[in-house]
Amino acid sequence: MNRLHPLSGAATALHRGVAGGSIPFFLVSMLDGVFDAVEVGWVFFLAPVGFVVGVAYGAAYYYRFGYELAADTFDIRSGVLSRRSREIPLRRIQNVDISQGIVQRLLGVAVVRIETAGGGETEAELAFVADDEATRLQREIRRLTAEQHAEAPDARSPETDASSAADRADSTGADPDPRPTLLFDLEGRELLLLSLSSVSLSGATLLPLVFVVAGDAVVDLLVSLAEPLGGPADLDDASAPQYGLFAVVSILYGALAAYLLGAAYTFATYYDFRLGSTGDDLVYERGLLQRYSGSIPVDKIQTFSIAENPIQRAIEYAGLRIETAGHGPDGSAGSQSAVPLARRRRVEGFLERATGLETPSFTRPPTLARRRYVARYSLLAAAVVAAAFGVSRVWTIPYWYASALAFAGAPIAAHLRWRNLGYAVADDHLLVRAGFWRRRTHAIPYYRVQTVSTRRSIFQRRLGLGSVVVDTASSRTFARGTPTIHDLEVTDARAIHEETRARLEAARRSRGAEGRELSVTFS
Amino acid sequence: MEPLHPRIRIVWVVRAVLVAAALAVAVAAAQRWLVDSLPSAAAVGVGLLLALVGVAHALLLFTNWGFELQDDALYLERGVVTFVETSVPFVRVQHVDTQFGPIERALGLSSVVVYTAGSRNADVRIPGLTPDRARSLQNTLRELAVESEAEDAV
Repeated sequence: MNRLHPLSGAATALHRGVAGGSIPFFLVSMLDGVFDAVEVGWVFFLAPVGFVVGVAYGAAYYYRFGYELAADTFDIRSGVLSRRSREIPLRRIQNVDISQGIVQRLLGVAVVRIETAGGGETEAELAFVADDEATRLQREIRRLTAEQHAEAPDARSPETDASSAADRADSTGADPDPRPTLLFDLEGRELLLLSLSSVSLSGATLLPLVFVVAGDAVVDLLVSLAEPLGGPADLDDASAPQYGLFAVVSILYGALAAYLLGAAYTFATYYDFRLGSTGDDLVYERGLLQRYSGSIPVDKIQTFSIAENPIQRAIEYAGLRIETAGHGPDGSAGSQSAVPLARRRRVEGFLERATGLETPSFTRPPTLARRRYVARYSLLAAAVVAAAFGVSRVWTIPYWYASALAFAGAPIAAHLRWRNLGYAVADDHLLVRAGFWRRRTHAIPYYRVQTVSTRRSIFQRRLGLGSVVVDTASSRTFARGTPTIHDLEVTDARAIHEETRARLEAARRSRGAEGRELSVTFS
Repeated sequence: MEPLHPRIRIVWVVRAVLVAAALAVAVAAAQRWLVDSLPSAAAVGVGLLLALVGVAHALLLFTNWGFELQDDALYLERGVVTFVETSVPFVRVQHVDTQFGPIERALGLSSVVVYTAGSRNADVRIPGLTPDRARSLQNTLRELAVESEAEDAV
């Protein structure tokens, strides 16, 4: 059994010590108000005791935490009072991630996370191990898994057989860890385009913090920025239009600040992004301040998806993401960027090499579907007008009826939504595309399909339309919604439903037959 | 297509009536303490209307429900407002439960719940089966799932 890095012992002890010391502090000050017998003075005695107990617990936790990489499992024993012993079968591991914050980089330690399918959380987290130990673990898990695959080839997906026939030789051969073959390297220009074109809200979450820390200074700055444009010189003494102008100008500057923060965040996240392949795994690393590196077994990949927003579509760039059933780093459940941003053609070429999928021509739903969206967005516009009317009853708003312009937007929005829908039934994959603001094209291998549904709401039934919902185990879809082909003719929807099922069955049979055949040869 | 046991209608109708009654009581309370101008018949009216809609929904749901064991998948049809046809390939079945709630038990009914590794509709529930049918369905599904052996679902 290996121990974690000694520094993590110190960190845990300190952490628990502070927690243990603060509990008596709160408890005594609370109980002091309730019971006469409790006196505030006890804190001076109880808090140090709590601190010592906490430190002792933290130290004990460190000494009682052990991990070991066995031949086919990863074992962890932990717990001071109640012991927990876990064995994670290596072939069930989805991905292994290493992350390193700035302080951790300076101290030469890293956090290792081992993900399996199922559950909403990381299966095993080692905080912290030395950074060379982290890379060793990642590499060894990869090597041992590859060895197991070589022994039991039926657990492999056809695509890995195709792509890694050559790799297998060296993954099981003399060289235990061949240097990763570089597949993609994010260039400076691509990183800049990515930062500027992706509108990330992550930066905006910092704005309230800025207000809490330096609220007055921010307000003063906003006043001085709005003044030349006709804003008030002093917030206490201004007319209504001046306040209005101040509000508008402040919102615009706020949006600009949020955008810039978001761009900076994206820049720091994807700085020096590299994707490579070694053996049967994809490996990536990225990050400016906090470094991430991860390895994803190719046969654990559930779906690929191409994501692009309107700006990126206009300059013909796109990003490619990999979805697994595991839980990803920094909360991005099971979804890793394979190509953060590159020319669309390059992304498609990459996808083609990874899956053997040639970019097919997409079919759009019938124009009848567009009519539905016009109705839907018109209802939305009606709600906007009704809200504006309601507000105008309470406060006087000039030209509230101008909100009726929202109706003009409905057909445009409907058309854009319809235009960006599409699907294609390829040989090994079902392709589903949807979304205007963030258009996603999912490539779902048939053998990854879990369930297929045809859904028809009452409105769809009236028009003879139906939607096909294709569910996979990729955990990304929890948040993003399951890939759905919207509003097809019912006959088409049913045909795709049947086709998907048939191809899943065919894929299963061929994989099963192949596995049995090979296992006979091997045994 | 195999229908559900007709007694499931009683479960759904009772449930709908209970919900309608609860909402009628809420309307009555609102009328008593918040809005005096509401006519006193409002609570009764709301209750009756909801009960009517609920009962109609329950009856339609029963006629629309159906399931079938096909060659390679469990196939289900259900829904009133949105009609859903779902295929659950046997190879994707992770495990199968039988369950029953208090009302179901009183009426001698139980449900079969089929779990997959999928993210949505990860559990598919077939309500309104006699305990015998539920058990036999559970066994059949288990056998079919083992037969089609998922070598690596996720």
